[in-house]
Amino acid sequence: MKTSALSQYIGLAAVLVLLVTLFSLSSEHFFSRVTFTTLANQIPALTVIAVGTTLVLIAGGIDLSVGSVMALSAALLALGRVDWQLPLPVAIALALGVGLATGLLNGFITVKWTIPSFIVTLGMLEIARGAAYLATGSRAVFVGAAMGDLGVPLPGVGVSPAFVLAATIVAGGQVLLSKTVLGRYILAVGANAEAARLSGIDPHRVLVSVFAISGCLAGLGGVFQLAYLESADPNAGIGLELSAIAAVVIGGTSLMGGRGSVVSSFLGVVIIAVLQAGLAQVGATEPTKRIVTGSVIVAAVILDTYRQSVGKRRMRSVIE
Amino acid sequence: MVVTLAMASLGTGCGAPRSRSNPPRIALVMKSLANEFFVTMAEGAKAHQAANSQAYTLVVNGIRNESDLSQQVALVEQMMAQGTDAIVIAPADSRALVPVLVKAMRQHIVVVNIDNKLDEPTLAASGINVPFVGPDNRAGARMVGAALAKRLRRGDKVAILEGIPTAFNAQQRRLGFEDAMKEAGAEIVAVQSAHWEQDEANTVSAAMLREHPDLAAILASNDNMALGAAAAVRQAGKTGQVLVVGFDNIAAVHQLIQDGRVLATADQHADRLAVFGIEYALKIVRGETKPADMQTPVDLIAANR
Repeated sequence: MKTSALSQYIGLAAVLVLLVTLFSLSSEHFFSRVTFTTLANQIPALTVIAVGTTLVLIAGGIDLSVGSVMALSAALLALGRVDWQLPLPVAIALALGVGLATGLLNGFITVKWTIPSFIVTLGMLEIARGAAYLATGSRAVFVGAAMGDLGVPLPGVGVSPAFVLAATIVAGGQVLLSKTVLGRYILAVGANAEAARLSGIDPHRVLVSVFAISGCLAGLGGVFQLAYLESADPNAGIGLELSAIAAVVIGGTSLMGGRGSVVSSFLGVVIIAVLQAGLAQVGATEPTKRIVTGSVIVAAVILDTYRQSVGKRRMRSVIE
Repeated sequence: MVVTLAMASLGTGCGAPRSRSNPPRIALVMKSLANEFFVTMAEGAKAHQAANSQAYTLVVNGIRNESDLSQQVALVEQMMAQGTDAIVIAPADSRALVPVLVKAMRQHIVVVNIDNKLDEPTLAASGINVPFVGPDNRAGARMVGAALAKRLRRGDKVAILEGIPTAFNAQQRRLGFEDAMKEAGAEIVAVQSAHWEQDEANTVSAAMLREHPDLAAILASNDNMALGAAAAVRQAGKTGQVLVVGFDNIAAVHQLIQDGRVLATADQHADRLAVFGIEYALKIVRGETKPADMQTPVDLIAANR
């Protein structure tokens, strides 16, 4: 298990090194401290959302609502600061609370009526987006400095507190998954919900928990996004759920559930971010950007299945 | 009441081959109502109708995504089926909407094109003439670019953030920016699309700033992208050193313009755009005017300093 996780990290790191090398060869300005600190400050929102998506996918569900929930949370946070004059901690609590509420609702409806989470969260994707339009009147809300220093780079370090927090959440998510009872339950339910139930685990509680975590992290993503961009766009995060799923799957988490790693998802996020930043920096045309991004996603997953089959063979030879 | 009757008689008086509703029914078919610009347009139209409720009735419809062409075609068909007298449309695509509008015109429905101009050759090939009521985006962008040019020196490097490259507006604004930069002798070192989006504009601008450390300005084809660019400039610690301009004059950029973080933007008077189209459609319905293109104003917005 340990060596398999390690080999996976090495595989993803190799992809990253390859991408960075290619971009550094194409642009003399790519390989610089500024590039990497800027990248670090751009990814906190996607990072924490990918952590939530990882847990949901491992538990055998899917959460399509994260992009819309992020936009809704950011919108309410912005309105809370600008229009309702709420203190920053209260406004942030509101944003996280809204995320948590949507997640609980997703989880509750999924288990109560045994509806596929694909459909439930697709519904929430629409509802949360509609709510974001309603709250903002479909207008961007500028907050300026009203978000404090969360998204501002720390002097001397270059990365923002948001990045540090997001990295901590990645570590926390990995610990939750591999060291806690809930983590083992998530893996068990995702691998086989019926077997998990027979062994005394309540799959419903596990599912509601992962959706709640995912919703809350989408809310946090909204906080990070607003702190970084200084204005809440009600159209923000359209298609973000697909970027998160792509990052998570690049990281080797199974869409079928039962298997995955939070740290690998983070590496998946970094790969996608490097790709976006690099393609923009070398001035790639629109078609090139899309074709290259799609190809890298598929290639990274092919690489992962290859790595797994090698791992399995090795495992088999150990057993024999 | 007398006014309405007079209008009705005018309407039938000009020999319209099809009986008009009284008061006339106007359908406003918009692009995405999730877009601030179109929301402002729709609200302006509704306010105008409320103030002129005797003169016409109004149905406002928008589509889900800017690119959802088939939904907009379906909307036009629905409006035709409902016995609409005039359709005022902001087409989601300059070509794809032409066939259904031809059908509408065959049913003697007045069609007025606003916001995004229908493609001339396609219209000519279909043998129809649809009046366009709207701003000249290219001239507007040239005006914003000229305001920026006053702060640039010859040979300065600038970058353009384009909208969705297939959209007519996006192309016109890019051309306008290019015109102004050419006149100013500035060098355009990068043109990339950020699809009108703030977040993507931020990522792309940050990359442009790294790739061209001596960049002097970013010209964003809408304010949403200008917001993303201004954030990237601040994050790169280059506020004041790299100038940003936008387009649309949305509320969220007002503070940035006051602070000088966005130098200028253009106001196309979104709240009046649809109203211009509606008033024009009413005139045609009443037979007061022959259909022809009509240009609406675009104003430069910059800080008072």
